[in-house]
Amino acid sequence: VSGDSVTCPFCGLGCDDLVRADDGVDARGCAKAARGFARAGLARKPHAIGGQAADLAAAAAAAARFLRDAKAPLFHGLSADLAGVRALLELAERVGGTIDHVNSAALLANAAVARASGWVTATFGEVANRADLVLLVGGDPARSFPRFHERLTANATPLYRDGPPAVAYLGPREEAPGTAGLAAFVARADLLDALGVLAMLLRGAAPRRAPDRFAAAPLALIAERLAGARYGAIVWDATAFMPGEAEMAAELLAAMLRELNVKTRCVGLPLGGSENGIGAMQAALWQAGWPLRLGFAGGAPVHDPWRFDGRRRIEAGEADLLVWVAALAPEAPPATRSPVIAIVADDVAFPAPAAVEIRVGIPAIDHAGAVFRSDTVIALPLQATRPSDRLSVADAARAILAALGPPS
Amino acid sequence: MIVRLAGGRLLDPTRSPVERREDLWIENGRIVAAPTDGRAADRAYDAKDCLVMAGAIDIHSHIVGGKVNLGRLLSATDHRDHAHAASAPGFRAGSGLATPSTYTTGYRYAAMGYTAVFEPAMVASNARAAHLEMADVPIVDRGAYVMLGNDEYLLRRLAANAAQEEIDDYVAWMMRATAAHAVKVVNAGGISAFKFNQRGLGLDEPGPLHGVAPRRILAALARAVAALGVPHPLHVHCNDLGIPGNIDTTLATIDAAEGLPIHLTHAQFHCYGTEGKRHFSSAAALLADRVNRTPNVSIDVGQVVFGPTMTESGDTQAQFRNRRFAEPDKWISMDIECDGGCGLVPFRYRDKNFVNALQWAIGLELFLLVEDPWRIFLTTDHPNGGPFASYPQLVRLLMSRDYREECLAQIHPAARKATLLGGIRREYTLGEIAIMTRAAPARSLGLADRGHLRPGAMADVAVYRPQSDLEAMFRAPVHVLKGGVEVARNGTVTAAPAGATQLVRPEYDRTIEGRVRRFFDDHMTIGFDHFPLADQELADAGAMVEVRPCRARGMP
Repeated sequence: VSGDSVTCPFCGLGCDDLVRADDGVDARGCAKAARGFARAGLARKPHAIGGQAADLAAAAAAAARFLRDAKAPLFHGLSADLAGVRALLELAERVGGTIDHVNSAALLANAAVARASGWVTATFGEVANRADLVLLVGGDPARSFPRFHERLTANATPLYRDGPPAVAYLGPREEAPGTAGLAAFVARADLLDALGVLAMLLRGAAPRRAPDRFAAAPLALIAERLAGARYGAIVWDATAFMPGEAEMAAELLAAMLRELNVKTRCVGLPLGGSENGIGAMQAALWQAGWPLRLGFAGGAPVHDPWRFDGRRRIEAGEADLLVWVAALAPEAPPATRSPVIAIVADDVAFPAPAAVEIRVGIPAIDHAGAVFRSDTVIALPLQATRPSDRLSVADAARAILAALGPPS
Repeated sequence: MIVRLAGGRLLDPTRSPVERREDLWIENGRIVAAPTDGRAADRAYDAKDCLVMAGAIDIHSHIVGGKVNLGRLLSATDHRDHAHAASAPGFRAGSGLATPSTYTTGYRYAAMGYTAVFEPAMVASNARAAHLEMADVPIVDRGAYVMLGNDEYLLRRLAANAAQEEIDDYVAWMMRATAAHAVKVVNAGGISAFKFNQRGLGLDEPGPLHGVAPRRILAALARAVAALGVPHPLHVHCNDLGIPGNIDTTLATIDAAEGLPIHLTHAQFHCYGTEGKRHFSSAAALLADRVNRTPNVSIDVGQVVFGPTMTESGDTQAQFRNRRFAEPDKWISMDIECDGGCGLVPFRYRDKNFVNALQWAIGLELFLLVEDPWRIFLTTDHPNGGPFASYPQLVRLLMSRDYREECLAQIHPAARKATLLGGIRREYTLGEIAIMTRAAPARSLGLADRGHLRPGAMADVAVYRPQSDLEAMFRAPVHVLKGGVEVARNGTVTAAPAGATQLVRPEYDRTIEGRVRRFFDDHMTIGFDHFPLADQELADAGAMVEVRPCRARGMP
């Protein structure tokens, strides 16, 4: 890795071995990174108030007016680097708003399990160097994390094992990775039940009549391999489960991990956290003491994964102002009848002009910063990859804070 | 800007006499001699009959980092019961008592008269995150100790019999890369061994794969820290935490330092014998006796406080063992980056539980049997023995034998019989409290302008009103100044300026970078160039930095 390597913030893998090239950044074959860094070519859009171009001071002042008048402002999207998240948390608290990240549903399914019963996990470095068995649950991680196999199971010089790890798979046949030597194919709708069967098998209690659709025979083999592995790793992405089942699935996996570690070692690796979702969770935890889906209406932080679900609040009409933040991913705000303050990159478009638009740069393209990796421990530095005077999300949030004036 | 604290009794153990009744003058954030040119103060505080001490310094408190955030996640009750809005305009909301959020942490420490706090267990790969989090801890100065001794690079170089100078260079590089103030070793070799499914590691037991025994790791790190001239000695969390009979390991750890300075942290958890019908006994007298005779050793106590808390440790091996005591029954263990780990176990210390009660007594025995207050520091290993908010109660326990007797009467009767505590008459003096919580930690950490009230010192000052209720006195100082600015009054924060991140930057031979770079290129999942925290990143996060000098390189 040369001194000129750059970090990609566009998925939770946090690859930091990309290199500057004449026309931007060489994405090392990753389509997601290539798409992300290609955004460097965006045409610049002006800040705007009601569709009319405005300077930053006027836009921030307009945003401050909307925030002062709002009874229940919602900060959502939150696709920003760590500095942006820290500043938005301060702004949300200041105006008594609620705050949520666009990817928090899956993260909260995992967090709920960690909080309710605990588990055993590890970082990428441990899995890449130590795991002799990797069980992929729910689908091929490469679909959302393109370089997953290259980085976590195909490490050419692992510290603690000879050769590549055995890769096992439990999930829908059509989403299986090509690398799995052992697979239990089950339909997505049967995944939760199959995990239940696996948990029973690991306890030595073979289910008496497991229907064929649970692939009991290959599951028994997976159970045997997990128990026999020196250092197993179970990888899942909570978005791979049926709606509403992620938390139960994670709970079953956590229970397996707790039990396996009585005799051998086995770790979980919950994937997720693209668009710095992990960073948003971490900053909320340290600033407020709670993970996201936070409300500050009463002044003190309150965490409620249902009440402060941003999407739900918009659909239920509970937010009278939406502050939509989209810098890392060019996601348009959800439809709402409430006014929208958009703190967004130049490629975020609106069906109708937002009340206030503050255009910001893209982390790792326009400015430096930091994002958290999926494994929650490591914050990676981002490097600006072109000269730019575009604002960061943190700049925008601070401009609005300044426009709000001294707190009273 | 000149500030005058008028009419107080200044208590500064670094001066003789220790106590003197005189005004304290402050100019531009620093303590100065009384002006002789007749200039008046721009601001004056009435400290008549009050005790004036330097701001207190916590040498070991888990306040930031990945494991602290996991602790917050696990502690929903703590955060629901202790949530607060911003106390006034310009302050932030927060929550938590055992695992407080960052702003709450800074406010609560400052309100108690603390002006510097050190996070003792920063995993190297978590350094960037920990420092960005630390930037959100207001008012107090803060710093972090980087954990070494289970990191793959060090273990393999020790196995290869690398020269000590190379180890020194590596430690220096690591300290600079992680913006560390000191080096801590946690269960030397044991966290790595746990990843190989080894559930314990004796001090002289060869570790898995590399065959390096903990004693060798401890000796190499103690030598490196000494040779690099790092002010704070190697900060040691001994092997065998919590195991009855672990006093043998602890005493052997002192030997392993081979006369070099070491600091044994949360010594209470490493001070157990196996006597009695429950095979669990106090070894505080043994450890205190050894500490009293061994001037190169300092300890902090890790006092247990009865009530609920969260235990957060880098010691995955010990925490996995302790999971059976989890209350409520849930726990988290994490292996980190061929480097370290963390384990979280919620816990409730009960005065009617024999073991917990004896742990409480063992901590107090250590406080009272170690004679030199310059070598013992007041900690609860926050939050592992209890929340830092309980410090005022601990001061009262140390200063009042009557109060101690009262508390002793409440605990499990068998623990009461098993402890020497009832027979110990010692009561700490205010001067000794000032040493243990101010002057001594400042000296140990190399903070030359902290912990005293002499001209030139940073004007970090706590003003206490003497009263019969010692706990109330230490809980709510009348005034607390940070850099000459009043930050708290009568236990309520009044301003929240930013403190500074304390760190040291030992020198090293650059050839180590090539070696470590190759290791990173071959094995690590973060690039060598992205691992170190850059000065600009700290500045961008709003963290001021104060670099403390190291002694010239070479063995003392």
